[in-house]
Amino acid sequence: MIELLKRLLRTPQGAVGLILVVIVFIVVVFGPWLAPRDPEAMSILARYKGPSANFLLGTDQYGRDILSRLLIGARSTVTMAVFATLAGTFAGAFIGTVSAFLGGRADEFIMRTIDAIMAIPNLLFALLIVNLLGSSSINALVAVAVAFAPGMARITRSVALAVRKQDYVSAAIARGESSRYIILREMLPNVVAPIVVEATIRVSFAVMLFATLSFLGLGAQPPATEWGLMVSEARQYMHLSAGILIWPSLAIAIVAIGFNLLGDGLRDALNPRTGG
Amino acid sequence: MTETTNNTVLQVRNYSLDYLTAGGVFHALKNIDLQVGAGEILGLVGESGSGKTSMAWSIMRYLPSNAREAGGDIRLRGEDLTAKSPAEVNRIRGKRISMVFQDPGTSLNPTLSLGTQLTETLRRHRGLTARQAWSEGEAMLDRVGLKNPAEMMKRMPHEASGGEKQRVVIATAFACNPECIIFDEPTTALDVITSRQILDLFLDLQAETGVASLYISHDLALLSRTAKRVAVIRHGEIVEEGTVDDIFNAPQHDYTRQLIAAAPRPSDRRTQTRPSYRDQPLMKVENVSVHYGRKPFLSALTGRSFERFAGNRAVSLSVQPGEILGIVGESGSGKSTLAKAMTGLNPFEGQMTFAGRTIAGLADMDRAYRKNVQMIFQHPDASLNPRQKIREILARPLKLYGEDENGTMAQRIGDMLEQVRLPRTHADRYPHQLSGGEKQRVAIARAFASRPKLVICDEITSALDVSVQASIIELLLELHREHSTAFLFITHDLNLIRQIAHRIAVMYRGDLLEVVPAEDITSPERADYTRRLLAAVPTPAGAAPTERDF
Repeated sequence: MIELLKRLLRTPQGAVGLILVVIVFIVVVFGPWLAPRDPEAMSILARYKGPSANFLLGTDQYGRDILSRLLIGARSTVTMAVFATLAGTFAGAFIGTVSAFLGGRADEFIMRTIDAIMAIPNLLFALLIVNLLGSSSINALVAVAVAFAPGMARITRSVALAVRKQDYVSAAIARGESSRYIILREMLPNVVAPIVVEATIRVSFAVMLFATLSFLGLGAQPPATEWGLMVSEARQYMHLSAGILIWPSLAIAIVAIGFNLLGDGLRDALNPRTGG
Repeated sequence: MTETTNNTVLQVRNYSLDYLTAGGVFHALKNIDLQVGAGEILGLVGESGSGKTSMAWSIMRYLPSNAREAGGDIRLRGEDLTAKSPAEVNRIRGKRISMVFQDPGTSLNPTLSLGTQLTETLRRHRGLTARQAWSEGEAMLDRVGLKNPAEMMKRMPHEASGGEKQRVVIATAFACNPECIIFDEPTTALDVITSRQILDLFLDLQAETGVASLYISHDLALLSRTAKRVAVIRHGEIVEEGTVDDIFNAPQHDYTRQLIAAAPRPSDRRTQTRPSYRDQPLMKVENVSVHYGRKPFLSALTGRSFERFAGNRAVSLSVQPGEILGIVGESGSGKSTLAKAMTGLNPFEGQMTFAGRTIAGLADMDRAYRKNVQMIFQHPDASLNPRQKIREILARPLKLYGEDENGTMAQRIGDMLEQVRLPRTHADRYPHQLSGGEKQRVAIARAFASRPKLVICDEITSALDVSVQASIIELLLELHREHSTAFLFITHDLNLIRQIAHRIAVMYRGDLLEVVPAEDITSPERADYTRRLLAAVPTPAGAAPTERDF
């Protein structure tokens, strides 16, 4: 673990990504205590203000402190993205490993089904699910998770196919182990590395997908402090104060970039062939 | 021994090489002294990690970026190669020194035709035009004994067999009439009979051109046949150097003695047990065929005919209780396919009978059958799950087959480790923390956990060094005596199998040719292929003369 961290910090993208992600997680955990004001306290007199000593990042159309809203909104935005990715990754990894293990017709059937699902763009697919389930944060999470699962399944399967050919899996089959044991204990632990990398990169997609859903009014509902929702609401007032739009967009960008760089760094750090 | 005369082509003097690694400086080569004269073959023998390949790359002046030369020089006809600039080295490489690699499958570029790769050297170093180089190339392929060279020049690497590819690589190495050629295990990746042909070709060309050759190998028996002088390298140091006769008949250093003793010698039998052939066979395989390949999903629609590849064709053999049955054959002969069918890893057609019970398919292989038939795989790295500790690996068969025995799980795992001569504390380690031999011991412990009646060993020593191989065989024979376990021992090493097996089955391209008692394998009544196989195997020097002449 320490060794991995060292290798991660040795690459510039890994170091920057790790720092950004750590900052984001600090905000997620301590955001509510760090926020200087009540995020929902309106003030008629202080609308559309630019940055000042009182409001570090200025105020929005109702005179609410943007900084406080961002700090508190981090929790819903980033946590949701991480959970949706985790759920999608686990489902996808499991399907992919099972498919690779079963092989033959079952594999063919599962993978062709996944191909069919993947033919629908992620966003469209998420929209479809949210429309079916109704718009709420939890449904958006389910939608993103379901939209991610097929891609993860494909990636996992390609790795698991190589693992399937390893002698330790043959040894387990020859020993008469149950399929469950072979999939969960012999195969899954050995496909983890590429999945971790892929999942990290996908967190940034999830953040943007959530933001898009909220922007379209299908995710979090006002007056929630979700970042995508903030961007969506700010759109109408951007000619009055650009800050309302810029700050939450920037926050989304930083999270996306951070996870992306971390994913790139992890890919190099987990690959034994690059680096000493 | 040749004195340092004008005749010396390659001279390595007091040469040391270090690698800078994350764990500190690793001394790969320490004060190496070597010299190869014109027309001479110097054999360099050592086990994996001894630094023999590092030596080759040092001479070729192609070192990784973390290598540091700690001293000494490498001279080609008196010119110090270590002092040359990269541009000068480029002019020397391929022209005055060349190299033949282990695996022709990876040393040739798969996207260029064989002719293109061969003529590249000619055009670069001898300044020939494309047309001249091409006809010269054809002449070279003819010289290395390839039939129809004109057509071979146009082929791509995947259209040629391993032996043909290695001939092309050798032709490339000899293309510019270099003064010195380094051979890095050129026959290890090839089949027994092919490698014998390549070896003969090498000896012919060597005698014809009088090139100075450094022949790197781990196989002492093979070197005793090719080289005049042999240097033994261990942990980056030359421990002994001398003529072949001296090294084999009067080795000075303990390590050399150990290496020679470890090389399997057919004349020296290591199995004393005698199975009874009157009893009911333990395992009877009748007309077992295995086919590979699945009918493509849409082939019915496209109307394309589909033919399955036969891994085994109607193989029948039997194993007596307590017998060691050897199976030999080249790669692709279906040895492993048969083992996989017997352990339920491949579907098969035909019938097996194990201890009186009929096994007609995978469904008949219940827990009792699997408990009694265990398999040990070739690569211990691959057969032990890298994410599980030795404890977990060894606990699985105990949990699965629920042997009723006293003692806690931890105790029994410790006992299993001790049985294969490993310390009990190894239970807390991961496979990558063990050496290759130790890993194979763990795999053996796992197979013997359920006290099986039949253990199938699929090339279990071929990935190991000679000395480790000898100790693993020793351990297996001990377990064989102790539990009177029957073995199905698959290998391509004829010398080894003649030492330990009671009977030997010879396989060729999916067919079982014959099953003969080990002592009758040299009889002239054997099948033609068996005789060719035997003739191709180098027997170690020091073996009885009759053996060597065969």
